[in-house]
Amino acid sequence: MPTMRYREALNQALREEMEADERVFIMGEDIGVFQGAFKVTQGLLEEFGDKRVRDTPISENTIVGVGVGSAMAGLRPVVELMTINFSLLALDQIVNHAAAIHYMFGGQARVPLVVRMPQGGGHQLGPTHSHSLEAMFLHVPGLLVAVPSTAADAKGLLKAAIQDDNPVIFIEHEYLYSQRGEVPENGGPMRFGEAAVRREGSDVTVVGISRMAVTAERAAEQLAHEHELEAEVIDPRTLRPLDLDTILDSVKKTNRAVIVEEGWPHGGVGANLAALIQEQAFDYLDAPVARVTGADVPMPYSKPLEQAAFPHEEHVIQACLALFKDL
Amino acid sequence: MATDVVMPRLSDSMEEGTVLKWLVDVGGEVKRGEPLVEIETDKANMTYEADTDGVLIEVLAQEGETLPIGQAIARIGAAGEEPERTADSAQRTEESEVEAEPEPQEEELPAETEAPATRHPRPAPSAGDGNGRVKASPVARRMAREMGLELGGIEGTGPGGRIVKADIEAAAKGGATAVKEREAPAEEAPTTRPQPPATSAGEDGGVKGQTTTQELTRLQRTVSRRMAESKATAPDFQLNMEIDMSGCVELRQRLKEVADAAPSFNDMVVKACAAALREFPRVNGAYRDGQWELYSRVNVGVAVAAQETLVVPTIFDADQKSLGAIARDARDLITKVRDGNITPPELSGGTFTVSNLGMYGIDSFSAVINPPQAAILAVGALKKKPVVDDSGRIVARDMMNVSLICDHRILYGADGAQFLARVRELLEQPLSLAL
Repeated sequence: MPTMRYREALNQALREEMEADERVFIMGEDIGVFQGAFKVTQGLLEEFGDKRVRDTPISENTIVGVGVGSAMAGLRPVVELMTINFSLLALDQIVNHAAAIHYMFGGQARVPLVVRMPQGGGHQLGPTHSHSLEAMFLHVPGLLVAVPSTAADAKGLLKAAIQDDNPVIFIEHEYLYSQRGEVPENGGPMRFGEAAVRREGSDVTVVGISRMAVTAERAAEQLAHEHELEAEVIDPRTLRPLDLDTILDSVKKTNRAVIVEEGWPHGGVGANLAALIQEQAFDYLDAPVARVTGADVPMPYSKPLEQAAFPHEEHVIQACLALFKDL
Repeated sequence: MATDVVMPRLSDSMEEGTVLKWLVDVGGEVKRGEPLVEIETDKANMTYEADTDGVLIEVLAQEGETLPIGQAIARIGAAGEEPERTADSAQRTEESEVEAEPEPQEEELPAETEAPATRHPRPAPSAGDGNGRVKASPVARRMAREMGLELGGIEGTGPGGRIVKADIEAAAKGGATAVKEREAPAEEAPTTRPQPPATSAGEDGGVKGQTTTQELTRLQRTVSRRMAESKATAPDFQLNMEIDMSGCVELRQRLKEVADAAPSFNDMVVKACAAALREFPRVNGAYRDGQWELYSRVNVGVAVAAQETLVVPTIFDADQKSLGAIARDARDLITKVRDGNITPPELSGGTFTVSNLGMYGIDSFSAVINPPQAAILAVGALKKKPVVDDSGRIVARDMMNVSLICDHRILYGADGAQFLARVRELLEQPLSLAL
């Protein structure tokens, strides 16, 4: 299987879907001439022309609004927002329109729109560019939410998102863009709502969201080598729909769960998942469901503070160990 | 046929009791309403009376043993009836079902035996947090339920002593290894109260010399738990005030002339506090779970040192009672405490506490709030002191220091200060107390 970077896998997905379906077009700030702030759209302007690869002014609500309208009119727009922070400018279009239109019009209209954007800290871009807001979109009924953590998932899930008739919030990660991974040749779209078990284990279930799936997997290796604990690492890949069954099956086997996310603790993905686990697997728990989250602060600019504000392997390891003994 | 006598619930907060002394020997006759056994609860020692006639055919809880309420402690049956001596409870239940008895055993039992855990005639070892709740994970609970294991007998190895799945698996597999003291012989049980407290001497000396460890009595354990809880949870602050008791001294002198037993100064303090508590309802309240609870009755507890521990009998509705009535109540309660026959109802329901160490010559001191009450008044000794009066002369007056220790979650500085000022006003003009 060829290996490629996460950003190259996304680029491939866009190219393949644009080749396969001429209704697919992309739009966003600096995606054409500049080839994307993170080079995801490299080469696409040249290949597909400026009718299907459209540079826009800085105007997020309008970018998404054009996406909503053109999707309702029969196109399959993929719009890029430069970071997830900027999506807050477009929340009216995303929450009040894209998510609700299919429901409001009794199914007569659909919004097959994909909103792509990166999230996450670690690059000293400060609190206006570095947050992790998947929980905010998970909150909204009517939106599908994808949080791919590997190159293969990035490609397969983006293809699925473009082919889906529902609005999809497609959350990439700045750290992951340069990470390499194997990607199946001629791979088709993946299914939403299918979690990946990254590593099997019998002692504790660790659910990692977005980039934290990678962190969780590394922590699990250390837990096995240094602490003789076998963690089962699950990457849900999509938060809505959520493959809760895979998580519950694992928790029923290990009797312990740790949820790792980069976002804030309150009202987070982990808070929600902890509630679901205790509701549906209470009698299988041997310890409280634990969460490892980003710090409850705006993302700091200072490098040491920023590093301290999101989870690293040692935090996951500590959280796992604390389920077994007093630390 | 024989019926079980179970550990009775003798106070609201009681979860387990210790058998102190059997008042009837095995084989002896038992009469309904006559003393059967002395039981130590979390609050006091009580004599428990038999509720049926018969013969004490078997004692299941030896003196010194501690059992949860509802657990069988003895069996009463007909003269000559043999105790059913079988090792394990399951077998025993089966046998009694197999026997061609006219009706199921349960229907013969008195109502109290419907409490949980009656199915285990053997005492369960103590476990958990001492509040009756055993700390166990949900999966451990489910497995124990499915396997019919008693959680109380299993040692928890999880964080904070939680019983976890592995402990249940070990208990199911190894049995004896994980089950602690389940079949401990009776002579290893804690020593009974009337005897000297259990002590054990350390083996080697060390720099502190030989170490003697003493088991706490139930009351001492309750005091230590509640005091630690108070200090750990109540953000307390202290207000000090000096009160001129000359008026009270004079009043007491006059009352002595007309009454056999004149009220003590502490009775006057109780009366003054009760009157002031009526005016300051939050001082008569409690902070509980993020809310203030205000009580309609003013029940003043009086701390009494006795039996090597501390008990706080309650003078109920002290604001409604005359000074004489308070004095009589206080005397009766103190006598009962000293004689060891105070009952749990007389030790509960307090909404405020007065603690007086004046008789030991203590000038002033701090006290620990009796949770969940809002405050405690610490009363020092009454002493003649030089005081500058209104006209600038130095005169000898009977002065007394008091300290009000308040829970800042319900009382703020000004609240406590106003209450204390009102107490002083009442004590310095004590005629109102005599009303």
